[in-house]
Amino acid sequence: MADNPSQQLLDMWKRQVEEGTQAWLRMMGQGQAPASAMDPQAFWRPFMDQGMAAWSKVMTQGTTPSPDLMAQWKQFLDQWIAAWSRVLEQAMGTDAFAQLMGKQLEGFLNVSGPVKKAAEQQIEVGLAGLGVPSRAQVTALARHVAQVEEKIDALEDKVDRVLRRLGDAGSPRTERA
Amino acid sequence: MKDELFTMMGEMPAMSPELLARMREEANRNLLRMKHWSEMVMNPKEPKIGATPRQEIYRTNKSRLWRYESRRTIRTPLLFVPNLGISRPYIFDLMPKGSFVEHMTALGFDFYLVDWGVFGEEDNGLSVEHAVSKILPRLARKALESSGASEMSVLGYCMGAPLSACFVTTHPEFPLKNYIDMAGPIDFAHVGLFGKWLAPGVFDVDKYVDTLGSIPAEMVKMGFKLLKPTMDLSTNLNLWWNLWNPDYVAGFNALNKWANEYLPFPGEFFRQWVRDFYQQNKLIKGELVMGGHRVDLREIRCPVLAVGAKEDNIAPPACVKPLMDVVSTADKEYVELPGGHISLIAGRGASVHCWPKVASWLAARS
Repeated sequence: MADNPSQQLLDMWKRQVEEGTQAWLRMMGQGQAPASAMDPQAFWRPFMDQGMAAWSKVMTQGTTPSPDLMAQWKQFLDQWIAAWSRVLEQAMGTDAFAQLMGKQLEGFLNVSGPVKKAAEQQIEVGLAGLGVPSRAQVTALARHVAQVEEKIDALEDKVDRVLRRLGDAGSPRTERA
Repeated sequence: MKDELFTMMGEMPAMSPELLARMREEANRNLLRMKHWSEMVMNPKEPKIGATPRQEIYRTNKSRLWRYESRRTIRTPLLFVPNLGISRPYIFDLMPKGSFVEHMTALGFDFYLVDWGVFGEEDNGLSVEHAVSKILPRLARKALESSGASEMSVLGYCMGAPLSACFVTTHPEFPLKNYIDMAGPIDFAHVGLFGKWLAPGVFDVDKYVDTLGSIPAEMVKMGFKLLKPTMDLSTNLNLWWNLWNPDYVAGFNALNKWANEYLPFPGEFFRQWVRDFYQQNKLIKGELVMGGHRVDLREIRCPVLAVGAKEDNIAPPACVKPLMDVVSTADKEYVELPGGHISLIAGRGASVHCWPKVASWLAARS
């Protein structure tokens, strides 16, 4: 089996992937030890086997190509993506990731908040100098329009309620009375 | 030249006629892939979305109420309440032969859609409470008046489910006939990755809103992309694989347009949504107060259907199902269907699993 140069190449590749998997497993196992939750081998095994089968077929078929290989390759990629998706989902589902993301976001807000405020003030001063309404003024105007609309809606609701009561008062029961 | 190539292939040894036919088919598909790809890049067509005829019944601020044309043979009208912010509601009427709205109207449902609209900076003061106690009751009443019916069914999808649940429980005067929760989170203790990322102590919602004012669409997009980082890769791989199929390409274009149009959240809405629902889980605990009324899910006394999607990572089935434990009705049903959060309601799978189930359940009670 190993006499075949193609097979040798395949075996070598397989060994490398397995060693890579072991290294990944060791790396993920360090620190917080979520060993039962994290098992990259379990994720990778199915698509790795699939890949092996596909490559074996390519290597052993020699010069006869087959369109089925395309389907197998697609399936291999699908499984590869699904496996990575599961690995990432597990990693992102940890408390450590959530804390890290929260800190990143806070850092971003700490930087962007003052920058945003300073930029808005500068723009406001510039626009005031040109006699052009600022974003804040336009927004305030739009807010006023929305509030007026809200009041009209509330009035409409009240009128509707009064009309309904009048309608109820003019119902056959009242007429009979 | 193509024929020449196949003639040459045919002369190769060990090439069976079946294999040759498959290779010919694959070569044709590759040519079609190239053709459609170049069309998408060089001459992209605007997808035809939201094709079902409709009429605007009412508009208040940015929000609109749409009524779709139908034979209206089913007596009780249906009010569809989707999410506020995040994405546009045309996903429910994405394209002809691929639309939940089209499916329901073809069956004779009088279909009303709440379109919350795109809120701007001027709406940053809009809260969940305002949406539930001011906007939604008004739109629901207008729908009821326009239909001329005495009762109405309500279907909440995604965030629209908790919003509509808050509305129907705090407005006992609303004549609710049936209630459907489609992929809508109720128990936020089981809401998956978003629940972890937005947890108290991890996500400071006050700082976020106070700094940014509103939640920009780009931020919303980032959050959803992070939820499934491999999504773009698999989407593009599937596109390449199916690029020969013009129907798939048309569907992809429409869905892709929708999937890249994220909407911002009004600041106060986001603050209340994250704090009261995600961080304090007040809905299922019965601790929410909207418009001066306590939200008590036990007040839902009509027939209830809850639909979970098996692979939903936005509203996992575990956070949808608990609705069954709190409503006060014997006529209740929970179903878990194949698909994810979007494919539950849009796409080929939805037309096979979800739409017929929802339509038959509702028709029998309408």
